[in-house]
Amino acid sequence: MTPEEFAERVKAKFEDAEVKITENKLPHPRKRIWIEVTREKFKDLVKFLKEIDPAAQFSVIIAEDRGDKLTAKYHWEMFWGQGKSLSVVIGTACPKDDPVLPTITDIFPSSLPYEREVQEFLGIKYEGIPDPRRLFLPDDFPEGIYPLRLDETGIKPEMVKNAGHPYRRESK
Amino acid sequence: MNGRIEYWVKIPIGPIHPALEEPEKFIITLDGERIINVDVKLGYNLRGLEWIAMRRNWIQVLYLAERICGICSFSHNHTYARAVEEMAGIEVPERAEYIRVIIGELERIHSHLLNLGVVAHTIGYDTVLHLSWLAREKVMDILEDIGGNRVNYAGNMIGGVRRDITEKHKRAILDMIYYYRQEVMPKIEEVFLYDPTVEARLRDSGVIPKRIAIEYSAQGPTARGSGIKKDVRYNEKLGVYPDLGVKPVTPKEFTGVIKGDVFDRMVVRVGELWQSMEIIERALDQMPEGKIKAFPKDNMIIFKLKKAEGEGIGRYEAPRGEVIHYVRAEPGRDGPAKWKMREPTFPNLFAVARALVGEQLADVPVAIASIDPCLSCTDRVAVIDANTGKRKVLTEVDLLKESIKKTKEINPNIKAKPERIGIGRCAL
Repeated sequence: MTPEEFAERVKAKFEDAEVKITENKLPHPRKRIWIEVTREKFKDLVKFLKEIDPAAQFSVIIAEDRGDKLTAKYHWEMFWGQGKSLSVVIGTACPKDDPVLPTITDIFPSSLPYEREVQEFLGIKYEGIPDPRRLFLPDDFPEGIYPLRLDETGIKPEMVKNAGHPYRRESK
Repeated sequence: MNGRIEYWVKIPIGPIHPALEEPEKFIITLDGERIINVDVKLGYNLRGLEWIAMRRNWIQVLYLAERICGICSFSHNHTYARAVEEMAGIEVPERAEYIRVIIGELERIHSHLLNLGVVAHTIGYDTVLHLSWLAREKVMDILEDIGGNRVNYAGNMIGGVRRDITEKHKRAILDMIYYYRQEVMPKIEEVFLYDPTVEARLRDSGVIPKRIAIEYSAQGPTARGSGIKKDVRYNEKLGVYPDLGVKPVTPKEFTGVIKGDVFDRMVVRVGELWQSMEIIERALDQMPEGKIKAFPKDNMIIFKLKKAEGEGIGRYEAPRGEVIHYVRAEPGRDGPAKWKMREPTFPNLFAVARALVGEQLADVPVAIASIDPCLSCTDRVAVIDANTGKRKVLTEVDLLKESIKKTKEINPNIKAKPERIGIGRCAL
């Protein structure tokens, strides 16, 4: 399946999804598909991916603090059996005062560790996650602090130790 | 009284354990000798790289990416450079692409030789460990010759490579390939393909069936050992790799069967050693003349990227599997607004933890070693210690002191000193 065909199929089923295709100009040009959906439609779209290609490989969640909202981008590699595979990125977002996203562990079980990682680092709560424990952070890490947030719930300057910037004189 | 008593035993393996090269913790629930659950706890190697990268510029992050891991250091900054190039639309000169292929494949050879030694060590073949690491010294010398360093050779720059491969390097590489073909590979094949003890020990242990491998997104040799024909270099049409005839190696080409066990993963690694040598030879043949950098000066890169906007993804097949980096640029900012990376050990660990269910406890070290785990890659995210309380943290030297004290109680003649040598292979 080519990226254009895939984009057509997604557009036909989800009218409000933004689909764009970017091209890379390396010696062998290659395309990536970037899709943006609302969080209400997100899980349906993931189910649709699994329907199109049951062997799709889930790769990574890229979660970010973007001011008043938290965004999460999910990457899939699809149709790896056909040689040239499809690289699909699906993005969704949730507001900061209601940071909840649906879990996709029931569709792609491999997403569980990534969701646990995002949950502890960005504070996005996953609805229906089977195992909400911490993965990377130590158990005595303070509650309510999300290290990769850029607002007041992030890391405060007085918590930073031995992490000096090389160009700052006062750091040790 | 007649009812059968069932009890489960929980055994923690790690964070520090003789069977593991790096700190990670597996909590294994046992019913007799059979494993019924494996729980993974990570984070003993957190360095907060994503947090640090928020405070660095584009070029500095390139070197930070290299220090994610010592073994696949080229893979990480290669992938990061590709992500930035895709984001900013930078075209890489063709000679630079070929040099990237050559260094990347040299790195694959040294990583696979290392892993073959480690797996041999976990089953008690220490001679194989020492011999395969001795053979690995040859490729380390070549890498030192090209990059000036045994690990962290800093080969990449955004828009090209930093060091050229000259006629002298070319001769040395061809010598090395001759040495491996003639002297090393026959012995390695003898051990890992035909030795009856190795086959008896590695066959049917740590089996990852194809269905589990797909479900848990296993990567690299772990996936290919289970019969998944997936290789980013081939699937992504990466760089000039399609011109060099790369294709996924599965154990079917060597042994005719695919079982997805430790033995098959080792067979894939042996096959990839052969493939890497072929790719290097072809790349040296086909390499065109020309420049090796898109920008002659590094400050031009910062100048251009300061105006860039957008996002890019780079993917590369590291020795252990797919590495994926994401960058997002904001105009006016001299560093990435977001940098996120994923390394193959992360999904592989959970795949192997799932596959260990139903196996025996004795297979745990070899199954874990067979995915070639790289925990300093996996634990790269996160942050700073926030403890302000009175918790005392024991350092390595403290623990060694305690350990030596205990030994002296048994044997007072011990004269060891608690010296810091470092644990973990990525510090090699």
